Amino acid sequence: MCGYGVYMPAREELTAVERDKIEIDPNFDFRDYVGVEFDDVPANVMAMFKWAGVYSQLQKGFFMIRLVTPGGLMTTEQFVRALELADEYGQGELCITTRQTLQFHWVRLDDIHKVIEGMQEVGITTKNGCGDVTRNTVTCEMQGVCPHEVGDDVRRLIDAIATDPEIRDRQRNLPRKHKISVAGCGKACAQTLINCQGWVPATRENADGATEVGWRFHAGGGLGARPYLAKVIFDWVPCDLALDVARATVEAFRRRGDRRNRAFARLKIVVDRMGPAAFGELLIDILKERNIDGVDRIESASDPTPYIGASFLSGQGALPQKQEGLNTVRVLIPRSEIRTETGREIARLADHYGAGEIAFTNRQNIAIRNVPEADVTVLTEALHKAGLQTEGFERGLDIVACVGTTQCKMAVSDTRESCLALKGSLQADEAYWDRVGPLRIHFTGCPNNCAHAWSADIGLRGRRRRGEEGNVQGYSVFIGGKLSGAGSIAEHLVDVDSDQVNATVRGILDLYLASRQSDQETFIQFVERITVDEIRAALFGSEAADG
Amino acid sequence: MADLRTKIEALLDDNRNEEAIDRLCGRRAARDAWEYALLARAYFQRGDARGDLYAGYFFANRAQLAGFDEPWLDELRSQHAEPAAEKKISMRGLSYPFDAVSQQSGVGTAAKDFDWIARNIPCQEACPAHTNIPEYLTAIFNGEYDRAYRLNLESNVFPGVLGRVCARPCEDACRHGWDGLGESVAICHSKRVAADLKESAPVVLEKWYPDSGKMVAVVGAGVAGLTVARELARCGHAVTVLEKHALPGGMMNQGIPEFRLPRDVIEREIEQVQLLGVEITCGVEVGKDITLAGLRDVNDAVVLAAGTLRPNLLDLPGKELSGIRHGLDFLLEVNTHGTAEIGRHVLVIGGGFTAMDCARTAKRLGAATVAFDNAANADVPPGTVLHAPRDHVGVWYRRTHNEMLTTPGELEELGHEHIDMEFLVSPVRYVGEDGAVTGVEFVRNELGEPDAGGRRRPVPVQGSEFIVEADTVLLATGQFPDGEWIDEALQGSLLDDDRWLQRDRDGRTPLEDIFVAGDYADGASSLISAIGHANRVARTVDHHLSGEMRVRDRVRIVDADDTGRIPEMDAVPLQPMPVCGVAQRDLTAEVETGYDDALAVDETQRCYRCHYKYEIDSDTCIYCDWCIKVKPRPECILKIKELTYDDEGRILGWEEATSTDETNLVWINQEDCIRCGACLDACPVDAISLQKVDFETAPACGRNAESETT
Repeated sequence: MCGYGVYMPAREELTAVERDKIEIDPNFDFRDYVGVEFDDVPANVMAMFKWAGVYSQLQKGFFMIRLVTPGGLMTTEQFVRALELADEYGQGELCITTRQTLQFHWVRLDDIHKVIEGMQEVGITTKNGCGDVTRNTVTCEMQGVCPHEVGDDVRRLIDAIATDPEIRDRQRNLPRKHKISVAGCGKACAQTLINCQGWVPATRENADGATEVGWRFHAGGGLGARPYLAKVIFDWVPCDLALDVARATVEAFRRRGDRRNRAFARLKIVVDRMGPAAFGELLIDILKERNIDGVDRIESASDPTPYIGASFLSGQGALPQKQEGLNTVRVLIPRSEIRTETGREIARLADHYGAGEIAFTNRQNIAIRNVPEADVTVLTEALHKAGLQTEGFERGLDIVACVGTTQCKMAVSDTRESCLALKGSLQADEAYWDRVGPLRIHFTGCPNNCAHAWSADIGLRGRRRRGEEGNVQGYSVFIGGKLSGAGSIAEHLVDVDSDQVNATVRGILDLYLASRQSDQETFIQFVERITVDEIRAALFGSEAADG
Repeated sequence: MADLRTKIEALLDDNRNEEAIDRLCGRRAARDAWEYALLARAYFQRGDARGDLYAGYFFANRAQLAGFDEPWLDELRSQHAEPAAEKKISMRGLSYPFDAVSQQSGVGTAAKDFDWIARNIPCQEACPAHTNIPEYLTAIFNGEYDRAYRLNLESNVFPGVLGRVCARPCEDACRHGWDGLGESVAICHSKRVAADLKESAPVVLEKWYPDSGKMVAVVGAGVAGLTVARELARCGHAVTVLEKHALPGGMMNQGIPEFRLPRDVIEREIEQVQLLGVEITCGVEVGKDITLAGLRDVNDAVVLAAGTLRPNLLDLPGKELSGIRHGLDFLLEVNTHGTAEIGRHVLVIGGGFTAMDCARTAKRLGAATVAFDNAANADVPPGTVLHAPRDHVGVWYRRTHNEMLTTPGELEELGHEHIDMEFLVSPVRYVGEDGAVTGVEFVRNELGEPDAGGRRRPVPVQGSEFIVEADTVLLATGQFPDGEWIDEALQGSLLDDDRWLQRDRDGRTPLEDIFVAGDYADGASSLISAIGHANRVARTVDHHLSGEMRVRDRVRIVDADDTGRIPEMDAVPLQPMPVCGVAQRDLTAEVETGYDDALAVDETQRCYRCHYKYEIDSDTCIYCDWCIKVKPRPECILKIKELTYDDEGRILGWEEATSTDETNLVWINQEDCIRCGACLDACPVDAISLQKVDFETAPACGRNAESETT
């Protein structure tokens, strides 16, 4: 809010945040902050640190730094550098994010530049790690090695978006954050429907009868407090126009995003308010303004309803790559936290058995690539020996969780504790998890939904409730989120206190096991068949109201 | 370093954990083993549900990794290995009923509904007529001038008049004028816009009740008399207003000068009263042309609204000298005849509305009628205010400007019109020659203790007397109700020993069919006070005539999507009232020329729209604090440990929570809320609702009545 005495006529003017975005240069040189006292950094300047990937932590005086790793790939050299820096400046730990990158925590103001420069030396930036910019581009964890990958334009588009001077450097004053997913095929592995832009490879026969590869373009997805699933905007975008469409989408967002109200600023609101068809027309107009050739080759969506195939990732510990004889071996990282000694072991094994390349997954795990078929077993054993799990992916124990109240200013519930408690209580019962089969449980600490509770089979979102004396930490439990087909947002089932989480999850799953039509009926199919209301009634009685 | 550690340990010994964390991390984040250890202790000791236990463990581990080996840290950590003992918090009013008003929507008449209005809409509460100020300012902002005018008209018979000359108690109370929030909204100037820019056709309010067959006479066609008349006409009664002067309007016409209040504005608004069926008969003096008893004979009720026409003349030596007259008498003459005799040296004695009007009128009259030897600004046309020299008119007042009863900006205008003021002076005698006044002897005062009205009392300074030259003295020293015209036979029943009317606060007199309204009841005050009183008296009269309380206040509560405000509107400064140039000011030219529509928008957007109510449903709230993160005022949203209520459900007070654990409510303190809507936008779980809460006056019986749910 601007100060009193400033004339402000009756029209919409810049909010304080928008003014800061114009007046404060986000290209910080953090060497300038060496020796500066924490309390002397103005709050609005500190807020702009986000544009450099730097975020103040719940605990005063410490910062989180987020890297940008397009598509989630890292070489072990880069990973080891991150581990070294975490040892030196980040209290020996790193976190994997759902946007397939790493976060440092506990970094001091004096040390921020050391972490940033240290990563720059190995070719990794923190620029646009946070803030109202286009964030780290995500893809499927098998991108580049997946047998299902369509065509050969996927990596090109990821890199083009990530390095595009317009998107990366010039469009750094967007109304809100902007998220892009580039999928390797038509399946849900890349979480197309919960991104602002969702690119899915498409094929068709051209006039010569040959198969032509292009893109199906989605826009308007996003979770947060108000979830929206992306809609199909264009059925067909030729490969040579994909970057232009991505740029035009960013520009459309710049123009139309509601800068007055950050809660309604995301592209998902723009698309929802305009409607997908009108939004597509806006993009075409922008492309024409820019004199882009061949815009008429873009085909608008005949139906905005998405149709995403089911993810093929379902529990596999090792996944055969499209490269003959090579595999990707997945490593389960509990609550996304990597102690540096563990990370070093993973890096060593990736060097030894793989080709020195790892991928961070959107379920906050690590995939070691290019492991020869013959080495998969020995690598797996080595990982087990290091105390790591290589099974249970996309199952009950593969829980996605944010940092919760441990380090985040926004969280209301201790998701870390709840996540670990749930794992601890259920881990031993392997037979049970085998029976349950595919299941995605997500804990998110606040309505920002960083851990995607809306799109989980069982999503738990932090809440507090008024207790008899003071308030009590707990969760709102949602079920039935889905990222395939047209997608679905999980529906509210019940609110529970934290000490009831384990029993509630177990109760839901017991009901599922007792009520499913066959062993083949997945949890999401079960929810869709009998509805959330019926599940609530079955669990809590017919008189149970919503919540 | 050791010194710093000792200081931080002392803070921790006192449980001042926040300060300890600030000392450890406010300059540079902890780096040494002992710093980690003390941070661990600070977080453990604070023990907030949000992250403190985790941070305590984290820093304890860091401390030990860094070589810290003092045993207390281990002990501290082991103490926190077990879940914290359940905190017991003494609670009253635990179950916040989510009802600052009696219901979520509908019509309410519970005590808490009116209490909410009184606490939350300070302008409306301060207005004696309880005009729905925020709603009509909103209408003006939206360019809905007709609606704004009609809203005003409901409780104030003279919006156009009051838009110019109101005493503006609302502006003194306006939330925007509270400490740290800037200046009050110019409510009065804004109100005028609706009257100036609405459609020109008269606005006639609908009648609440059909013809009753009852007849009422009202004595006096001033604001109080006409207000009572209109309200009773709306109730279906046949009303005749008797006025002894040639024109209706009372003080509007006879007291307030035309350059402040153009006469066509008065005429239009009186016409609106007449169009409701009210008969106004001028030139009839009750007590002379007709008796009060005669009026009683042919009417079911008589309302006395005769104003205050008995001047308070100072009983000073020389009071018989010519050239000394009461200011109200002077204004009446000028306003009736367009002129009056005036000298070269005019002294106005007093410090209220009448004094200001006398001085400004005298200055203009002198400029038009007196041949000054020392005429200033010879190039300025005679008759305009600057033509008269600076020493022509002066105002002499016994207190200081702080104690004066004037409208905002009026003193500045006196300065612009070269009218000097002298403060802390009291007249002690008049000086004269040949039967005419030639001067006034004053004594200087100093301020003493406050009097019963709260204004500091002037105390004469002995020996400070001095004489000031004057050939015209205008006494603006107050006026009283005159009871002498009342039939002698009735005076005993109606008048007190002090010759004031015997009355209760609702206008009843000892005679059940005679009522008294406005200044005639309570003495000279302001137009808006007279209107407020007259509104109340009209209900009393209607009750007498109908046997029922047929007009009632109520509170209408409706859901709203937004208030239409944006936070940046708070930063808009007060818009000054445009005025005509001093060189153009004469007896008739209106000084304040009024806002145009653009200025009206700029000014009315400043209104906080206090009649909107944001409220958090504590059953839906998840205590995420997102509303608190965006709140614009330190106390507008609070984490509450305890609220206390009275038996009627009115909130009496609160105690803030000091930690996440003991927070029972995240609560919007509506008295500090500036209605920016940031919380509503920020709330991720739609726990915050918005309602518009309007105070209304409406018929309570018959076909026009609306059912109430309380």
